Amino acid sequence: MAIRVNPEFINELDRFGAEDVQLCYQCGDCSTVCPHADEIYRFPRKSMKLLQMGLEQKIETTLEPWLCYYCGQCSEQCPREADPGETMMSLRRWLISRYDFTGISRAFYKSRTIEVLTIIFVALLTGALLLYYGFTNGNIGIYDGEGAFLPSHFIHRFDLSVGSILLVFLLINAFRMWRLVMIKGTDFTVPWWLYIKELYQLPWHFFTQKRYSECEKKRGHKIYMPWLIHLGLMLGYVTMLVLVMVFVELLQKGPEIRWEVHAFGYMATIGLLAGTLYFIRGRFKKHYVQYKKSHGTDWVFVILLFMIVITGVSQHIFHRTGLIEMANITYVIHLMSAVPWLLRMPFTKWAHLVYRPLAMYFASIRREAIEREAAVKELYPLVIK
Amino acid sequence: MRTGVFFCQATSPVALNIDAIAKYSANLPEVETVQVLRVEPYPDVKFLSDIIKAHNLERIVIAGETPGYYKPLFTRAMAMAGCNTDEIYLASFQEHGARGENALDRAKAIVACAVMGVPFPLAAVPGGNPVNHATLIVGGGIAGIQAALEIANAGKLVYLVEQTGTIGGHMAMFDKTFPTLDCAACILTPKMVSVGQHEMIRLMTKSKVIAVSGKPGSYRVKIKQSPRYVDVKSCVACSQCADVCPVKVKSEFDAGISMRKAIYIPFPQAVPNTFLIDENNCTYILSEGKKCGVCAKKCPKECINFNEKEQIIDIEVGNIILATGYEMLDASKIEQYGYGVYPNVLTSLEFERLTNASGVTGGRIVTKTKVFNKKTNKEEWIFSPEGVPPRSIAIIHCVGSRSRKYNTYCSRVCCMYSLKFAHLIKEKVPNASVYEFYIDMRAFGKGYEEFAERIKQEGTFVVRGHSASVTMDKGKMYVKGEDIINDRLVQFEVDMVVLAVGLIPSQGTEELSRMLGIRRDSDGWFSELDYNGSPTDTDKGGIYVAGMCQGPKDIPDTVAQASAVAAGVLKSLTSGKGLGHLSSISLSEIESRAKALHKI
Repeated sequence: MAIRVNPEFINELDRFGAEDVQLCYQCGDCSTVCPHADEIYRFPRKSMKLLQMGLEQKIETTLEPWLCYYCGQCSEQCPREADPGETMMSLRRWLISRYDFTGISRAFYKSRTIEVLTIIFVALLTGALLLYYGFTNGNIGIYDGEGAFLPSHFIHRFDLSVGSILLVFLLINAFRMWRLVMIKGTDFTVPWWLYIKELYQLPWHFFTQKRYSECEKKRGHKIYMPWLIHLGLMLGYVTMLVLVMVFVELLQKGPEIRWEVHAFGYMATIGLLAGTLYFIRGRFKKHYVQYKKSHGTDWVFVILLFMIVITGVSQHIFHRTGLIEMANITYVIHLMSAVPWLLRMPFTKWAHLVYRPLAMYFASIRREAIEREAAVKELYPLVIK
Repeated sequence: MRTGVFFCQATSPVALNIDAIAKYSANLPEVETVQVLRVEPYPDVKFLSDIIKAHNLERIVIAGETPGYYKPLFTRAMAMAGCNTDEIYLASFQEHGARGENALDRAKAIVACAVMGVPFPLAAVPGGNPVNHATLIVGGGIAGIQAALEIANAGKLVYLVEQTGTIGGHMAMFDKTFPTLDCAACILTPKMVSVGQHEMIRLMTKSKVIAVSGKPGSYRVKIKQSPRYVDVKSCVACSQCADVCPVKVKSEFDAGISMRKAIYIPFPQAVPNTFLIDENNCTYILSEGKKCGVCAKKCPKECINFNEKEQIIDIEVGNIILATGYEMLDASKIEQYGYGVYPNVLTSLEFERLTNASGVTGGRIVTKTKVFNKKTNKEEWIFSPEGVPPRSIAIIHCVGSRSRKYNTYCSRVCCMYSLKFAHLIKEKVPNASVYEFYIDMRAFGKGYEEFAERIKQEGTFVVRGHSASVTMDKGKMYVKGEDIINDRLVQFEVDMVVLAVGLIPSQGTEELSRMLGIRRDSDGWFSELDYNGSPTDTDKGGIYVAGMCQGPKDIPDTVAQASAVAAGVLKSLTSGKGLGHLSSISLSEIESRAKALHKI
């Protein structure tokens, strides 16, 4: 099937943050300096070219945007100041909206007002639900046990239901990603056993983010700071998610602190707090190229995360110091920011938690398949007639 | 005739005071109405024809930066009003150069001429200043030499002022010219010699223009001539002084790849063909006569005079030609190529000297060799004739050109000289592989495209893609890039990298522009009066630009421009009308002339 060209595509991507794509004159400096570009996945120049040509249908099947971690070397090097790094970032935003079947993501990226209003709406809804439950079934002076304001078994059920909504959306989106990338975008056969062979890539990239650390390989630094902070943030986040989803009843129980779960909780909090502060500071100071342009959704991301961490910490302190009423109120605020944040996940940047490891997984499958194809082709002579 | 003046002016960065011009034009004879139209939204034809009818207009003047844009509109309006559509006159501020100092007066004059129906160039004829028949040329490169010879051969006196010790400029450093592969020296040196021997050319080397005053036709110029310390008339360039001189410094003529003495001759064919002393490095001059001085003792003709003082020379000239040329961008600023860090990364000018038959290796293309410098106790990388020829060379185009970080403009010559390098390498080291990394191949001149095709046929690897990095690993140099046409990432191991560095205006350009009151463009080059119409004139009458100082150009273009300048100068000398400039005529003069013409 012929590929259709969308000449308006480049203007459309403006809203996602890629403003200077037209400036690019295809010198290839960016691909040269990129630590991740290789024989099979060459970017950012190629992505820029596809964008300039308006090959929307081709871009939606590419994995390249996910292979970029935005170290910013290409943008620093670019003689036209076309900002290829930011373009890759915008493409990731666009891809998230492309994988999303509901269209919510698109609306969020296109209008900050819609996003903020939705968040406030969901937050108020959550707050109203929690307050209604609390005042009909419990007493605001009790945190835990009989007649508690927000008893832990209720919170557990509440968390699980929010989590399952999240999971449904994410799974459908991930499936759509697989269909776009591996079915529509792959014109050669991929043997099924490659999916199993490369399965280890998923946890490997999820828990180490090894490729991110390679961003700094060319400059010769031992440790790449944004990677370390990002890893801390992510691990803290995942730990917290598991604690909240599975062990929330143990966490909430008082009065003694149960170290087997709380130790994890404290560590995760440190990671989250350090990470959030680092990224907020970065977005204010703009000393790295990747922080120069902040999309509206980026700000919502870090600010909400910061609120969740702060209310979570203070809720814990109030509870343990006996200020039960304050603890209950901050708990409600905590959940009011946590629920919209969680429900936002499949539609915004947050979703890269899932898409990135998946992209690595698909990328290595495709690489294997391409190499196999090439090897097979070499075995047989080219028959013209 | 009942005239209506309409101002159609979009807001521009150099906006003139339209209200003042409108008030002035209201007082002109036969003007019925003056209207300043809004151009956004576009004026309506019906609306205009109503105005024409209401005032019963017979003639219309459209004034503005580009009034021709609105002419069709007014033609329709005139036709609708039933008037003669031939009676539409344009008062274009842009076309007649209403900008700069007295832009307002000029604009008024343009409107006045249009109102009277007189073509502006007919009313505003500059002239009247008597012209001094001597000409000053600043810069002794190929542009200065060509212009000097053209004017002097016509029998007019020329002062040629050159900052260094010899004329010749950059072209003297080149080995071959593209695309004909002629020997550059064979074209240039005869010209240089005839400049040196011409009775109508006063050659001043080691000189600088320090002050200019006067008006078009008679400029008084102060020139500071630094001492050469060697008598030009008696020196025979026997080189015995240089043999005994103990001081060694990098040779400017060899782009720093070889050494010269503190008393030196820039190159054997230098004009004037005599030695000179570099006062910044000479031990005798630096120590104020306490040390050294061996050259003066050795000189058989006794022509070295350390007591020579700098002179201030006052001259009076009618025309001034600026031919100050260019410089190379400092390649070490662009860190990713490792210039100045890796020994075998060269700029194009250095490579040009390396491959030149009169260069340090006698034209052999070799890599640098490591030697131990006993004086500084350090290891140094130098070119020596015994060096090893490189097996592979990468040539990288657009280094510092077409980049928003350094020069936004294209330096115009780099593509072609890089291709020429590829040819020279293939000629001298046939087994070497040559990689050309380019973004766009700018082969725009006569025979250039054919030359580029020929180089590709010769087996040069022409890679479409700009290499962004040169790295060193275990003593081997790697150039990495993206081959866009073949769609792959490439990495080549190379022995030598040549950077086609961009060009920038030479150092004194800014000072000179301030001294003469000539504008420079945003890139720093001298501004010509009109890019298409008068590419050699400047804002000031009697001052011209030639060669690279007006913008990057190759040798044929430079020579052509220099000859064009000479024609302009000779025109002013022989026309008998005298030299003037539009800026020297006042508004009332133009007005009265226009009135006189109007009556006819």
